[in-house]
Amino acid sequence: MKIEDVVCPFCGCLCDDLVVEVEGTRVVSVENGCTLASEKFMGDHRLKSPIRRAGKRWEETSYNEAIRETAEILCDADRPLLYGWSGTHGEAQSIGIHLAELLGALVDNTSTVCHGPSIMAIQEVGHPGCTLGQVKNRADVIVYWGTNPIDAHPRHMSRYTTFADGFFLKEAFRDRKVIVVDVRKTESANIADEFVKIQPGGDYAVLSALRAIVMGKRGIIPLSVSGVSREQLFRVAALLLSAKFGAIFFGLGLTMSPGKYKNIRNAIELTEELNRHTKYTISPMRGHWNVYGSNEVFTWISGYPYAVDFARGIAFYNPGETTSVDVLRRKECDACLVVASDPGAHFPKACAEHLAQIPTIQIDPHTNATTHLSRIQIPVAVTGIDAEGTAYRMDGVPIRTRMLFKGNYPSDTEILERLYALVKEAKGL
Amino acid sequence: MRVILQTKPRKNPHIPIEAEAVIPQNFLRKNDIRVYEGNKERKLEEIFYITTEGPAVSPDQVEIVLAGETGTLKRVGEYMNAGRIVVEGDIGMHCGNFMSAGEIIIRGNADAWLGREMRGGMIRCEGNAGHYCAAGYRGEKRGMRGGTVEVMGNSGDFTAEYLCGGEVRIHGDCGDLTGVEMRGGTLIIGGNCHRPCGNMTGGTCMIFGNADAMLPTFRSNGIEEREYEGQRFQMMVFRGDVANRGKGTLLIRKK
Ligand code: SF4
Repeated sequence: MKIEDVVCPFCGCLCDDLVVEVEGTRVVSVENGCTLASEKFMGDHRLKSPIRRAGKRWEETSYNEAIRETAEILCDADRPLLYGWSGTHGEAQSIGIHLAELLGALVDNTSTVCHGPSIMAIQEVGHPGCTLGQVKNRADVIVYWGTNPIDAHPRHMSRYTTFADGFFLKEAFRDRKVIVVDVRKTESANIADEFVKIQPGGDYAVLSALRAIVMGKRGIIPLSVSGVSREQLFRVAALLLSAKFGAIFFGLGLTMSPGKYKNIRNAIELTEELNRHTKYTISPMRGHWNVYGSNEVFTWISGYPYAVDFARGIAFYNPGETTSVDVLRRKECDACLVVASDPGAHFPKACAEHLAQIPTIQIDPHTNATTHLSRIQIPVAVTGIDAEGTAYRMDGVPIRTRMLFKGNYPSDTEILERLYALVKEAKGL
Repeated sequence: MRVILQTKPRKNPHIPIEAEAVIPQNFLRKNDIRVYEGNKERKLEEIFYITTEGPAVSPDQVEIVLAGETGTLKRVGEYMNAGRIVVEGDIGMHCGNFMSAGEIIIRGNADAWLGREMRGGMIRCEGNAGHYCAAGYRGEKRGMRGGTVEVMGNSGDFTAEYLCGGEVRIHGDCGDLTGVEMRGGTLIIGGNCHRPCGNMTGGTCMIFGNADAMLPTFRSNGIEEREYEGQRFQMMVFRGDVANRGKGTLLIRKK
């Protein structure tokens, strides 16, 4: 059976034009998607049933037993951490926050290791953003700063920017100018009209210099700023100012390099400065397909987008203090529930070591690096394949993912609802 | 009155204790003082051996001495308005948050957010301070507004972020983006720092060591003489941050 208009649950582009062929409980072909999408839909390495550690080996256990043991571990903990959430649907994320509140737990999502700094900058100076549809139809100057969409968001350029014709840009490839700023020449840089190579850690200074040039203070700029010549800075500023509508996209090259959220703040303030002359927007290139959704759901329930500490019964937020990497590095947590992410693969070694020392439970369809650090793993259905739910695209547009077939696994929502009920009962509520 | 709080051994010493109730005014009233260990509320005597010596009729006559494993105690001295706290060892995050008067002496190192959004009083840290020393809270447009923070050792990144008033003296080195978003007040750095005063709009920052990776958006404005620890130095004067239409003053020792 061929299913049309399928949403891809892999990256923040959340492409919704895939055609997927299904036979029984297997995906047999994917059209329109990139190679990442094919891998996601066709990959077939699911864990068969819940497993728990028994000494040095794993043993199979039932869903009831695994959920009961998880509830006991979390209720016993003085400082539990509920981490992940970006690879599941909004409905499950919502139960996760309520569970954290009930437990007095820390709850954090993968923004902590990706665009958390972008959110912190937005909290300082706001966000002049727009939807990807606006970019596609209007933007004649595109900037990719510290991001390599050809590898990380393979269809971003073909659906929204360089190769996508828009309402006001009939021949996008010719009409749009593309600037790529990075510390090395990437695939994306190869097709840019202007490639700006910055010394590692030099983004903040280059952004400050561009702000000064745009406001007419060219005389202050030295011969070279972080490896970028003054002439190139003037050329880039002129190109930016030539736009009728400009769109800046930035990635982890900016959020996770020295300066972190201050880099993003500087980029937003450059956008504001450009808006005194023409129309400009700025947007983060979000990675996980529903990481934006986790920020939305966290915010509408707790008031904060990530790194929320419910230890005192009220929500407290302070990245650097309540972010999971920091909390694990300081060995604060005494139990951890990982949902729909893989901190074992993404976190620093010290954090992974602590996860291995405390009771860690993972809810995830596949075995991954975190499995090796866990005591229990509960397999679930994959949202967008055998489960459905709401996700948010990188520009904040909610899109409903579809269930392509009814499989044998419960969804994240079902598991978390059962866990929530057990914790509630244990707390006498 | 002198109150000595000596930490008791704990099952998990890594879990921080939230101790914003440990301020002189609370001990005067002899309230039932509670602190938090993770998500569990604890009585003060569950966490500390408490010894009280002498009387007091006002909070400024109260001195609290913290001893033992004090490095995980957070928010000690928060909203303190009188009296004195002496920490015999290290102290955890947020020591002296929002304090308006009184004195905190730390014999060891202080963790991040020392004197966050402080309004008045004095904090002296004899060791090193962590990131965000004398800075603001997330999204807050004003950091420290008054009082004095003195660190005898080094401090981390974002020292004096959003400084609005008062004086911050770091005798050692500072980390990255020192004095970023400064709006007022005085920041004095005895050692080196990295990328100072990005986006500053006001205030004065003096650096008596090296300023690495100076931002390109400061305008040179002559030479001035300034004194530090009894010696006079020639200082290069800069105004900025031009990228932010700022009118701050940055002085860096002329080599
Ligand atoms: S670009 Fe991203 S969302 Fe689109 S098909 Fe590829 S992986 Fe899926």
